[in-house]
Amino acid sequence: MSSLVFYLLTVAIFFCIYCIYGWGLNLQFGLTGILDFTYITFVAIGAYFAGVAALQPGNGGIGGQYILGWHLPFPIPPIIGGIAAAVLAILVGYVGLKRLRSDYLAIVTVSVGQIVWTLIGNITPLFNGWDGLAGVPQPFNSVFQLDFNHYQWVFLVICVLFAALGFLIIERLTHSPFGRVLRAIREDEDVAAALGKNVFRYKMMAFVIGSIYAGVGGALTIAYIGAFNPSGFTTMETFIIWAAMLVGGSGNNRGMILGAFLVPVLFNEGTRFLPSPPGNPLLAESIRGMAIGLLLIFAARYRPQGILPERKTVFRLDGLPQGGEAGGDRLVPQ
Amino acid sequence: MAIVSFPSSILKVTNLAKSFGGVKAINDVSFIVREGTVTGLIGPNGAGKSSVVNAISGFTRVDRGVVELAGHDITNQAPHRIAARGLIRSFQIARELQKLTVLENMMVAPFQQLGESPWRALISRRAVMREEREHLAAAVDWLQMFNLFPLRDEYAGNLSGGQKKLLELARALMAKPKVVLLDEPMAGVNPTLAKTLQGYISRLRDQGVTFLLIEHNLSVVEAICDHVVVLAEGAVLAEGQMNELRETEEVISAYLGG
Amino acid sequence: MSLLLMGVGFGLITASVLALASVGLTLQFGVTNFVNFAYGEFLTIGAYLAYFFSTVANLNIWLSMLLAALLTAGFSWLVNRVVIQPFLKRRAPLLILLVVTIGLSLFLENGVQAIAGPSFQQYVTVPGAIVNIGPMIFTGQQLVIIAIAIVLMTGVHLLLKYTRIGKAMRSMSDDPDLARISGVPIQRVTDLAWVISGFLAGLAGVVLAINVTSFTPALGSQFLFIIFAAVIVGGIGRPYGAMLGALLIGLVTEVSAMYIDSAYKTVVAFAILVIVLLFRPQGIFTSRGRV
Repeated sequence: MSSLVFYLLTVAIFFCIYCIYGWGLNLQFGLTGILDFTYITFVAIGAYFAGVAALQPGNGGIGGQYILGWHLPFPIPPIIGGIAAAVLAILVGYVGLKRLRSDYLAIVTVSVGQIVWTLIGNITPLFNGWDGLAGVPQPFNSVFQLDFNHYQWVFLVICVLFAALGFLIIERLTHSPFGRVLRAIREDEDVAAALGKNVFRYKMMAFVIGSIYAGVGGALTIAYIGAFNPSGFTTMETFIIWAAMLVGGSGNNRGMILGAFLVPVLFNEGTRFLPSPPGNPLLAESIRGMAIGLLLIFAARYRPQGILPERKTVFRLDGLPQGGEAGGDRLVPQ
Repeated sequence: MAIVSFPSSILKVTNLAKSFGGVKAINDVSFIVREGTVTGLIGPNGAGKSSVVNAISGFTRVDRGVVELAGHDITNQAPHRIAARGLIRSFQIARELQKLTVLENMMVAPFQQLGESPWRALISRRAVMREEREHLAAAVDWLQMFNLFPLRDEYAGNLSGGQKKLLELARALMAKPKVVLLDEPMAGVNPTLAKTLQGYISRLRDQGVTFLLIEHNLSVVEAICDHVVVLAEGAVLAEGQMNELRETEEVISAYLGG
Repeated sequence: MSLLLMGVGFGLITASVLALASVGLTLQFGVTNFVNFAYGEFLTIGAYLAYFFSTVANLNIWLSMLLAALLTAGFSWLVNRVVIQPFLKRRAPLLILLVVTIGLSLFLENGVQAIAGPSFQQYVTVPGAIVNIGPMIFTGQQLVIIAIAIVLMTGVHLLLKYTRIGKAMRSMSDDPDLARISGVPIQRVTDLAWVISGFLAGLAGVVLAINVTSFTPALGSQFLFIIFAAVIVGGIGRPYGAMLGALLIGLVTEVSAMYIDSAYKTVVAFAILVIVLLFRPQGIFTSRGRV
């Protein structure tokens, strides 16, 4: 297999994973107006838990210090990853979502991100500390016995299946009465409450479901790369997903697909060849960070609704009585 | 000879009190709203009308007193619980859900929709769709009654001020409330539309809907309210029918002198 | 007991750094009414400017600090005018504003990193003679830091209490609508709040960098949530609350570091933040009901 095909396969796999991330964030921010400034932490928790669920028991030695080690077959690890991210979301939601302004949750998420990052790095017995997990088995690899290159196709199929399922679920939720309540909350929490909606509960559900997407996406990431450590979930990673959402179209899951293509794929891959002079080895990384920051500001300034804005819901009214003599003195439909 | 049935009270407020940092917004307020009537709550600026509305609907906690809705104690309950019990409020400045269409604004209102549960939205699609059709029919009915039907697919944020007020009333009714609490429904509405709105309220009252109405304009109050409660300095100053109250010394001085 | 007092000593230093930073942030919040997630980078910029003046231009560290703080103040003013105001003029929703400040934070931190590099930097300074006050140990430098904090907190107090613009700032923070109606010069007060908060952030960045001895472009962003903790404990938008919040967070984190691994200092600050948000989201030192 040529290296170009291999490269394109990798890009396609990450494209699928970024779509999954993006839909989760979109449910939180685009639909509900929840500011999750540490989305990547939920990705990381999903990745770590999926990783230790798939790994053999740790030997406790160097590189082998981690919890669980259940050696579970695919697709159980991604489920565990999703559950772990959901549990963290419930804890964070309890602190940040209850009767507070939206900036308070943002503060809580920023703080949680930093705390989780510090703790995972410092407490080695959890996930092998700063070195992180490695050697996570790739799904079905032992079944198919394929060589490394051909296996990429298998993994792409897995990712496409996950993304398709993810899309189906998120689209249904978005266009259901549930999604409508979330959008009502985004527009005006007080009005939603005055109409009998339990705002906290709905925000929590949106936050948790979004985090499950993060966790499952993280689980796929670790299954693909086979390794994960704290350098994999820096603040910048969160905002690549944010930028993808804002550029593509917040509130529109199809826009999110476009955003996942434009920002992480084109942008990251396109800046891969920036110089890294010896005096400043992270120069390319820094420039990328500056660009993501600028992209957020400019998107917010000139096209906050994104390239594909949220679509207007138009109900089909055929079969319903309308027009004509309606509006007379007939009794209230009580 | 007809027996005059005296409608029972559906909303009962007893000895309500609330202060903000030492300033008493509500001193000691008691009144009742009878079923199927339009009760007006009037008073000069700073009389505590908005505080009473917020206290009844659960948006601010009260220090003392009891609010009962249809016999249930709803004092200091969360706003969504009070709403679910059947008390729907509007806001002084119309608060439409801007990026939802007019129809969607209506469709948010019904309580306990099946599809509001994410799980049911995923797996019980048919049942959810069926319920949506029912709500849609009711929503279309209301929009036609309020002449908003042609605007059904417009974003609510694009409506005129008066249309937003109409939508807010229609949306409240969509929730099949026991009591509708309207906070200055005529504020910022042009005179023609205000007349229409008055007509709607009276007609709905005749059909059994109960209203508690905060209003500045006394001629509006006189035209549509069956009973009026006058607030001044966080307490009930007087109550009765508007034409009687117009003659009352205290009311006149509160409005003109205070 | 002496361990406790030693912790108190360290706590006073941290509290001084924190007080400068959190009063700056809370003053800014008072007039803008949204949280600036790029505030940490103002500290970073202050620290790096002072590094430039002291190491490259060979100036005295305290003079460098003053110059750095003044430049950060100017930069803060510029950020408000160029980046934030256009959004306010278009009445951008709160959510969008917060996204803008976080984008700005990403841009600035990476900008500093692009220019100065990611490696650790350190001022060439003399810590000064050791001073013992009971079991508390301070270097001369640390005493200067505490003095700077006391002087500036007094300054902020005098400004808010006795000057017209300070009173205007307070009234804007208490009730923005009322302030607007009663003729407070919104634009001037806002500008001033950004300048003062930039100045305090610049100072805080330098003293923070002195206090932690070596720093990277992540200096400010890593300290940001401790600033948040102090600000929220004191009641957001309340300068005096922020001072007390800084004192509380500074003391508790440093005293706890005497008894548990000091790597978990930030976890202690976080725990306080969580407890306050759960039980008194309006802050410990305020009585106002709604957030």
